[in-house]
Amino acid sequence: MSLPVWIAIGLLGGIGALGRFFVDGVVAARTALDFPLGTLVVNLSGAMLLGLLVGLGLKGTALVLAGTATLGSYTTFSTWMLETQRLVEDGEATLAAANVVISLVVGVSAAALGRLIGAHV
Amino acid sequence: MNHDCLKLTTYFGERHRTATQFVADALLDLYGRKELEVSIMMRGAEGFGRGHRLRTDRILTLSEDLPMVTVAVDTRTRIENLLDEVMSIKRHGLVTLERARMLTGEVGAVALPEELHEATKLTIYVGRQEQISGTPAFVAVCELLHRRGIAGATALLGVDGTAHGVREWARFFGRNAEVPMMIIAVGAGEQIARVLPELGVLLGRPLLTLERVRVCKRDGELLSPPTSLPATDERGLAIWQKLMVYASEQARHGRSPLHVALVRRLRQTGAGGATCLRGVWGFHGDHAPHGDRLLQLRRHVPLVTIIVDTPERIADSFEIVDELTDEAGLVTSEMVPAMASLAEGRRQRGGLRLARHRF
Repeated sequence: MSLPVWIAIGLLGGIGALGRFFVDGVVAARTALDFPLGTLVVNLSGAMLLGLLVGLGLKGTALVLAGTATLGSYTTFSTWMLETQRLVEDGEATLAAANVVISLVVGVSAAALGRLIGAHV
Repeated sequence: MNHDCLKLTTYFGERHRTATQFVADALLDLYGRKELEVSIMMRGAEGFGRGHRLRTDRILTLSEDLPMVTVAVDTRTRIENLLDEVMSIKRHGLVTLERARMLTGEVGAVALPEELHEATKLTIYVGRQEQISGTPAFVAVCELLHRRGIAGATALLGVDGTAHGVREWARFFGRNAEVPMMIIAVGAGEQIARVLPELGVLLGRPLLTLERVRVCKRDGELLSPPTSLPATDERGLAIWQKLMVYASEQARHGRSPLHVALVRRLRQTGAGGATCLRGVWGFHGDHAPHGDRLLQLRRHVPLVTIIVDTPERIADSFEIVDELTDEAGLVTSEMVPAMASLAEGRRQRGGLRLARHRF
């Protein structure tokens, strides 16, 4: 990979992180539920977008930049895990289980849906 | 020393800044410079205030501006001399002044003034890693209070503060031995008076305050509603009131932790604000003192939720508190003789002249 690609990964990663911070913040501030909805929205929308890009036929460097760099730093595994652990700690076993199951089931479906849409555009 | 003192409490956000530094640091620098007898800064676990934005350490995005509370106690003159500077630090938040009696040095038999007889809130300040014959001081103190039948005690960890006039703050690396902790205990006046000399012996260099409270509820049992207070005293100075709800992190209302349900309901019903502080050790009722263990799934620490407002709105908030603490929790009420709220650094309402009201 060339130097410009390395630099672009850094920049797009930064943009992805800002996007997450913004979306998560807006959702969390508006809902303020006991459930970490902001993180869920970020992860689901990220999964769908990545599916869409793959469906559109993005490959090689373009996919690295859009997928790994931008959406990779937009979505967050660590926050999902930490917030689930906090729910368990608070004794919210049902919400913790829901956070894992919904993220997985809806997340995989969102990625599949994104691919489907991308392939038919 | 047995002084009539003032307790100055400030509530604000962790991320609030002045032109040059964080509000929290500005306040504690001031307390350190003035060598206050005792002060402590604590980070809240959850809460909301002006603007009704919820902050909680349960969700990562909502945890970047947690509520902060600082408490400072010294003689009336020394606290009053500090107020202009405290108020000149621009921020959003609340400032309250409460009357307290401070005991330091030799603590002998204490005859409590009549007003402290109903119920007394005893606050004990110890160092974070202070030891008493091999046991952490806060554990030893809770143990003694529990043995003597005090209704409840909660040990809260400070991140900065002064003790005996010397600044001590927590560093990322370092032993943080003297960073102050506060242990808040509530009990019958006579019981508290009896335990004071024992605490004096236990601690060697005790730093204690006593305040008047009313125990409203204990373990779901309604003992007496908050004192009904007028809106102003005879001179027209506003009177405020404070509710404190002590419960374990395990206490629940429905399916949610009690403090979470409480903050949510208070916020929905338009209460002015609420702040939760998570303790590290404590007990209430008959349970043995408890805290977190190394390997555990759930947390076992005590939580304190603080609500300050006008007597009228406190009466409304108490209805919610009463409903939610149907099984667990210790609820106390206190009169707050002065409160001021700040927005954009300007005083919004209230003032810091002390109201006087006998009840």
